[in-house]
Amino acid sequence: MNRKMEEKRSWDWHTELTEIAFEEWKTRFNWVQAPRVSMDGERIAAVVNLDEMAFTVCVNGDVWEGEYEKVWSLTPVSENGFAAFAARDEEWTMNVNGTEWSNWCDFIWNMMVSPDGTRLGAAFQTDSEYGVIVDDVPWEDRYENMTGAVMAPDGTSAAVVQVESMAAADVDAFKKGVFCVARNGKAMDRRFLNIWDISFDADARNIACGVRTDRETYGIVQNNSVWDNRFESVWKPAFLDADTLLAPVRSGGKWHLYKNDAPFWANAYDQLWHLTISPDGSQVAAIVSSPFGRWTVAVNDRVWQQSWDTMVADIHFSADGSCLAAVYKHKEFWDLAVDETPWHMAADMVFVPRISKDGSVVAVVVEKQGQYQLVVNKRVVASGYRFMAEPVISPDGTKVMLKGIENGIYKRKIIGL
Amino acid sequence: MQSQDNTMTDPSNETKQAEKAKQKATDPAIEAGLERLTPERIKKTINQVLEKETGPRFKAYVETCMRCGLCAEACSYFLSNDRDPRFMPAAKVKNTIWEMLVKKGEVSRDFLREAVRISHLECNVCKRCAMYCPFGIDIAYMMLLVRRICHKLEITPQYIQDTVNSHSVTLNQMWVKDDEWIDTLQWQEEDAREEFEDLQIPLDKMGADIMYSVIAPEPKFQAGLIYQTAAMMHAAGIDWTMPSTPGWDNSNMAMYTGDNEISGRIAKAFFETAAKLRVKRIVMGECGHAFRSVYDMGNRWNSWVMPPFEVVHALAFYHELLTEGRITIAEKYKKKVTLHDPCNVSRGRGLHDKAREVVNMVCEDFVDMVPNREHNFCCGAGGGVINCGPPYKGERMVNNRNKAEQLAATGAEVLIAPCHNCHSGLEDIIQHYDLKMEIKFLGDLMYETMEKKIYKPGA
Repeated sequence: MNRKMEEKRSWDWHTELTEIAFEEWKTRFNWVQAPRVSMDGERIAAVVNLDEMAFTVCVNGDVWEGEYEKVWSLTPVSENGFAAFAARDEEWTMNVNGTEWSNWCDFIWNMMVSPDGTRLGAAFQTDSEYGVIVDDVPWEDRYENMTGAVMAPDGTSAAVVQVESMAAADVDAFKKGVFCVARNGKAMDRRFLNIWDISFDADARNIACGVRTDRETYGIVQNNSVWDNRFESVWKPAFLDADTLLAPVRSGGKWHLYKNDAPFWANAYDQLWHLTISPDGSQVAAIVSSPFGRWTVAVNDRVWQQSWDTMVADIHFSADGSCLAAVYKHKEFWDLAVDETPWHMAADMVFVPRISKDGSVVAVVVEKQGQYQLVVNKRVVASGYRFMAEPVISPDGTKVMLKGIENGIYKRKIIGL
Repeated sequence: MQSQDNTMTDPSNETKQAEKAKQKATDPAIEAGLERLTPERIKKTINQVLEKETGPRFKAYVETCMRCGLCAEACSYFLSNDRDPRFMPAAKVKNTIWEMLVKKGEVSRDFLREAVRISHLECNVCKRCAMYCPFGIDIAYMMLLVRRICHKLEITPQYIQDTVNSHSVTLNQMWVKDDEWIDTLQWQEEDAREEFEDLQIPLDKMGADIMYSVIAPEPKFQAGLIYQTAAMMHAAGIDWTMPSTPGWDNSNMAMYTGDNEISGRIAKAFFETAAKLRVKRIVMGECGHAFRSVYDMGNRWNSWVMPPFEVVHALAFYHELLTEGRITIAEKYKKKVTLHDPCNVSRGRGLHDKAREVVNMVCEDFVDMVPNREHNFCCGAGGGVINCGPPYKGERMVNNRNKAEQLAATGAEVLIAPCHNCHSGLEDIIQHYDLKMEIKFLGDLMYETMEKKIYKPGA
């Protein structure tokens, strides 16, 4: 059992209702920004304004000690807490549960939280040099430009960095390639015109990305090698396991799925992206378009029967790989399909669904006419809320935790299924 | 300055200067690219594009054109250059893609140098000529096809290529770094709090009704426009957000250089940012080509027949704010104004009547330019022409004489240009032809005239 699961078991699944008067905060502060809810639902927090250029974070009615000129990117992290970027005297740092990191910089952004919430990273800039900081440890090497910073679950970090200066509008220098991947701050050897979508394998030992090698040639990088095949374009690759890399590639005007530099799926698509691999590695799914303008999901190269006219936004597997849910938009309404079956909710918005480990329970927040609802296995179990955070399904799959604001009161509600 | 026959005279005799400049102007990116080319590569690339990337549409256009010349009157370049037949849209086709087709790709470097010039500098891909063609032949499409070939041959003009390079690295067109973007938004928020003490520019707010997106010149040079929009959003009580991540810039110069792959990547990032934030719709600032990118070209490269999110151009959004009473006008703007209809949101989207309604709600004295609405002349900067940079400004001004005449004839004191490229190009024209006009975005006037009070439903 992983740490995340252990933690979920220790949460309170018995207290049916916990309430916190959230709207009341507005009488205490000049203004209150958008709420965030802790992973376990026990705490609600928001950035609040105390005075001119004086901000802090209020958690369950208590404010963090420090006052700051600016606070942003308030995010739930582990230990039922929150982290945010905070500035004082025009310098920035990360603040975790009211405690500042020791490192301060000229700017900090791109909050990265490991899936279990225990590791925190961000991009930073000091004196016009760029790097990544993880758990208050900044990269030793800094670069004049940096994009696409990512962090693996174990805190390994990487980003695309510029390793050679370019004069303004110097298209010749660009053509030679001035960008490479830096892993934990150390720049790798190969330079490219462009690098996008850095991906790690499960243990962060292997790294992959999409690259452009000349004006119209794209490739896939797997560790220090570029695949031999070249393509018209590529999207984010994904590791099936440590030795197996998958990547959507465009060739002959169509999109194909390649595995370790060779065709993998037989079908070609008008679009193929967002590779999603079931945790056990047995299923590979992707959002696909075929024919042109129709959107659906392919699992192991088998296309769902249903397709939609606008978009599939994201897809999610259950931990055991038995269930796949897709958030899609069709004829101006958002909806959810679970294992090919549409729920027909016709919502104004569908948020990220949560799925029980065995795939038997799917819970999702939807918005209709300005009100939030919680829908579990197609059944509306709560409605009339003005805000809801993503729900949590109990480890045994018998309960769902609702986290929402109703009539100005934050409610943590345990709903039996 | 205007002569008696209503034809503009060039104040600095720049026609001759520009001709001279044109003869000796060398674009290092074009010249270096041409130098690298071999006849084999030229032939292979042209034939690859013509055979693999075109279809019945191109065939129909090629086979249908009767060389009737009706397209000529539609073209600002033709009209600005004393009806020189070289500038007829049909001639531009004849002198570029037609020759490539007839000669099966066996064309010279000198031919390609001219093809780059015609397709990138002597056509705004404004599609006005398509309206005047009896068969509706879309010559802009053909010019974009030429640009696609130039892209693959690596002979795209330097400055616009640098813009595309920026897009490819940062997903914005002006090398704006991630921290600079966020810092600018926070700076504008801070400034705007002097006017509205609790104003916020909410970053990454999940589930907001609206994602507001701009193009990179706003954080780079015109941050006040973000301020103005924030003031409007706040006053109107809109639930909105702006993304802190790449995907915030809706511009797309790759669309105009024929780098369809980067163009598609930009559009993907844009719509996926909206999807990640779970917003209901996207409102975009006053930019025309960006609208074309997300409404027509970039989306379709990705297999989105229509944009996956409703994209509301600023013109339509202002109309909504005013007609719903979310923003009221305290006192109408007094000066005599005229309105330039940007090609991509007028001919391309039909927003011209809404634009006029907004102008009339905001301004007391509006005079239309002639022609107008979908028949309006292009600003002369659009289609990536101004993005080819300072080396070509002189000849651009010569090629914009027709537009200068159209503007001067209005007698307006203020020109409203609700598009960034139009705005920059028209500003050049006003200065060059000494037109004695101010130029403004419509948002400038909205902000200037609006009641600075907070909207209360039912009040």
